[in-house]
Amino acid sequence: MLKHRVIPCVLLKNWQLVKSIHFDSFRTIGHPTSTARIYNSRNVDELIVLDIDASLNNEEINTEIITDIANECFMPLTIGGGIKTIDDIYKVLNAGADKVAINSKALKDLDFIKQASSIFGSQCIVCSIDVKKIDGKYKVFTKKDGILDINPLELAKKYQEYGAGEILLTSIDNEGSTKGYDLELIKLFKDELEIPIILNGGMGEPHHAVEAIQNGADAVAAAYIFHFSQYTPNDIKKELVKCNIDSRIIDN
Amino acid sequence: MKICTNCVMPSTKPDLHFNEDGVCDACQSQKSKNSEIDWKKREEEFLNLIKQYKVHPDYDCVIGVSGGKDSTYQVIKVLELGLNPLCICFEPTIPTEIGRKNLENLNNLGVDLIHIKRNPVVYKKLAKEAFIRTGDNEWQNHLGIFTTVPKFAVNFNIPLIIWGESPQIEYGGPATSKTRNTLDRQWLEEFGGLLGNRISDMVGVDGLSKKDLSLYTYASDEDIHRVGVTGLFLGYYFKWDLREVVKKSKEHGFSVQDRPVETTYENFENLDCYSNHLHDYLKYVKYGFGRATDNACLDIRLGYIKREEGVRLVNKYDGIPPKKAIKEYLNYTGFTQEEFNKIVDSYTNKRIFKRDENGKFLRDIDGSLVRKEEFIVK
Amino acid sequence: MLNNQIVIIDYNMGNLRSVQKAFEKVGCDAVITNNHKIIKNASKVVLPGVGAFKDGMKNLEELGLIDILNEEVLENKKPFLGICLGMQLIASKSYENGETDGLGWVDAEVVKFDFTDYDKKLKIPHVGWNNVSYKNNNLLFDGIANNSDFYFVHSYYFKTNVDIVTSTTDYGFDFVSSVNKNNIYAFQFHPEKSQTAGLKLIENFVNINGEL
Repeated sequence: MLKHRVIPCVLLKNWQLVKSIHFDSFRTIGHPTSTARIYNSRNVDELIVLDIDASLNNEEINTEIITDIANECFMPLTIGGGIKTIDDIYKVLNAGADKVAINSKALKDLDFIKQASSIFGSQCIVCSIDVKKIDGKYKVFTKKDGILDINPLELAKKYQEYGAGEILLTSIDNEGSTKGYDLELIKLFKDELEIPIILNGGMGEPHHAVEAIQNGADAVAAAYIFHFSQYTPNDIKKELVKCNIDSRIIDN
Repeated sequence: MKICTNCVMPSTKPDLHFNEDGVCDACQSQKSKNSEIDWKKREEEFLNLIKQYKVHPDYDCVIGVSGGKDSTYQVIKVLELGLNPLCICFEPTIPTEIGRKNLENLNNLGVDLIHIKRNPVVYKKLAKEAFIRTGDNEWQNHLGIFTTVPKFAVNFNIPLIIWGESPQIEYGGPATSKTRNTLDRQWLEEFGGLLGNRISDMVGVDGLSKKDLSLYTYASDEDIHRVGVTGLFLGYYFKWDLREVVKKSKEHGFSVQDRPVETTYENFENLDCYSNHLHDYLKYVKYGFGRATDNACLDIRLGYIKREEGVRLVNKYDGIPPKKAIKEYLNYTGFTQEEFNKIVDSYTNKRIFKRDENGKFLRDIDGSLVRKEEFIVK
Repeated sequence: MLNNQIVIIDYNMGNLRSVQKAFEKVGCDAVITNNHKIIKNASKVVLPGVGAFKDGMKNLEELGLIDILNEEVLENKKPFLGICLGMQLIASKSYENGETDGLGWVDAEVVKFDFTDYDKKLKIPHVGWNNVSYKNNNLLFDGIANNSDFYFVHSYYFKTNVDIVTSTTDYGFDFVSSVNKNNIYAFQFHPEKSQTAGLKLIENFVNINGEL
């Protein structure tokens, strides 16, 4: 059976890998090369790296670091951050990425997703949605424009319609909190989409992954737990298997 | 790249924050050490705390030692406070003559010392893989110190561990770390410099089994809890001044080198291990600052030198490859110069250092990397 | 002139560097090219690819690669490794966005996953790690445990005769995850993205006819 994936999701800032807390403050995770090497040696399912210098500061996409990271990875690599044109996607894929994650551009231009998925294939296009809860309702959030009056589920459905292959759903409220994923949020998405959803933001211990998947996530993404706690990716997967959720475990 | 307006630490240091005046948080932390902290109160706190730990019939605490200036000072301080420590030395990777001499000296201060002669075959495998995988050739040594000391505390039923300076208080770090007075497993995982690599990730490397790595595996939560193991930072309770530490240690027989230690201008740090000099050099290639910068910043913060002098020292001493240390390291590990260079290159910072049109790093006559104009320390 | 090299066909369909890197990791210098001369002198041929079937066939045609592939693989019987789209292209036809003819090297059709009649609506594309169950002792699975996980990412799958099927994978039903017909080896999953198991498979391919 298809296994549920556990995916480290880290940010690239100033040529270093960091994680964020509520998108506000950052903590260093480490050197891109060593982090990628460690993940590869741990046989993680995939790796997602989001270049926040490119997305927030409008800097050039850092293809050098992407290549350095890709050179260490024998598992799929998704790169996001600052992708605005078809050319950007070519650049990122040629640098070694397998998939691209698109956020702000997708919000402004659905046709871009259509175009990108028809050129590169849907399986290559991950649409990234950041969410905040305001007055009991979930709204889409961007760092640049703040809260937008857009329903995340409606947006995800649109992305699906326009050819996205996967959705990366991040809860800004839970991110960096280590208190667990936003289960109410993922419940809204359960069985609503045909394409896979990767839930991101909040994992502090292995059981959080179980909860997320039981409530509708196809895969989970995390950062804190792999760098600042004693848990390894295998610990999380073992917990999944213990709770009858198919997961890929490689024991050395 | 920004440089602190007070000391000379660059913004390329991970997790370093600057205030509106451009002063880094390590300087701010140091300032609060001098003004905001009531050291008398903290000393009282410490004396009160340790009362409850004087439960063991023979030993009052455990101290991890290397024979270096810090551990010598810790032992002196602890003896002055009337405690009887059990000292644990997790041997350095490539011990030096002067290091051994200083360890003897520490022993002669009048303490029981357990000198761990770990399995050298296992250790070397870890050392080589750690260097390749994390870019930190001392990863396994940090881990070894932080796991063996609690292990012995558990085995001897001694609840109190006394560590030295809190690295985050002295050198800056994430906000949550500076108010930490204790070192426990969570601290190790978060701030211990493990770089995301865990000992379990090393199982299988060159045939290493879980059993081979038991020395590096942290004691179980049950055991820690049962014994009530607590690790306190001496540097949280007593104001830590680098030069005071050296002075006091020297007064008690600590020897320094007759010339500067490789990679810096000082002659009293990292005397006990060649591999450590390489570690400092790797910090430089990754982040653009090394031991000389660390020393200069501390000297500035403690008021021993002015910033201009710090800039001069950094530009003169930082980043020079430690030839002797590298030679010893190649000898120890068996890496060829070529293999070694390839690994170091993979960690060298492309943003800071110049490369030629083929992407090869430029180097000076002495082998130092060449900094791009905007990254030169001024 | 590059002689006796393993060639990775460059027809503008996807990340070829990953494939090349995987060959490098197992100690083999594979060259990325669409140069006819180099392909003619190749020892083995690798056709990777992600993207649409139509685009794949169109690009192969425009680059004049169809005839040369037919010659080198079907006539000269050079060992061939097809990955993902590269596997699908060897079929007779695909039903992705209309009907498109494939290379026709095996009697097969490429159709889309459809779970409308299923109780559980599985997600499409099929993305992630899944077991690969091989039936017989196929050369390329040598040294790889049965039911190992490999990485899949596709919305279409291969329908063909049992006799050339070398492994199946369960995704709602048992679909074909690899085939082998004489010198042609093709895999729906990505060995270059499947870490240890994948690298072993690539190593096995490199070792066919004892070349390394």
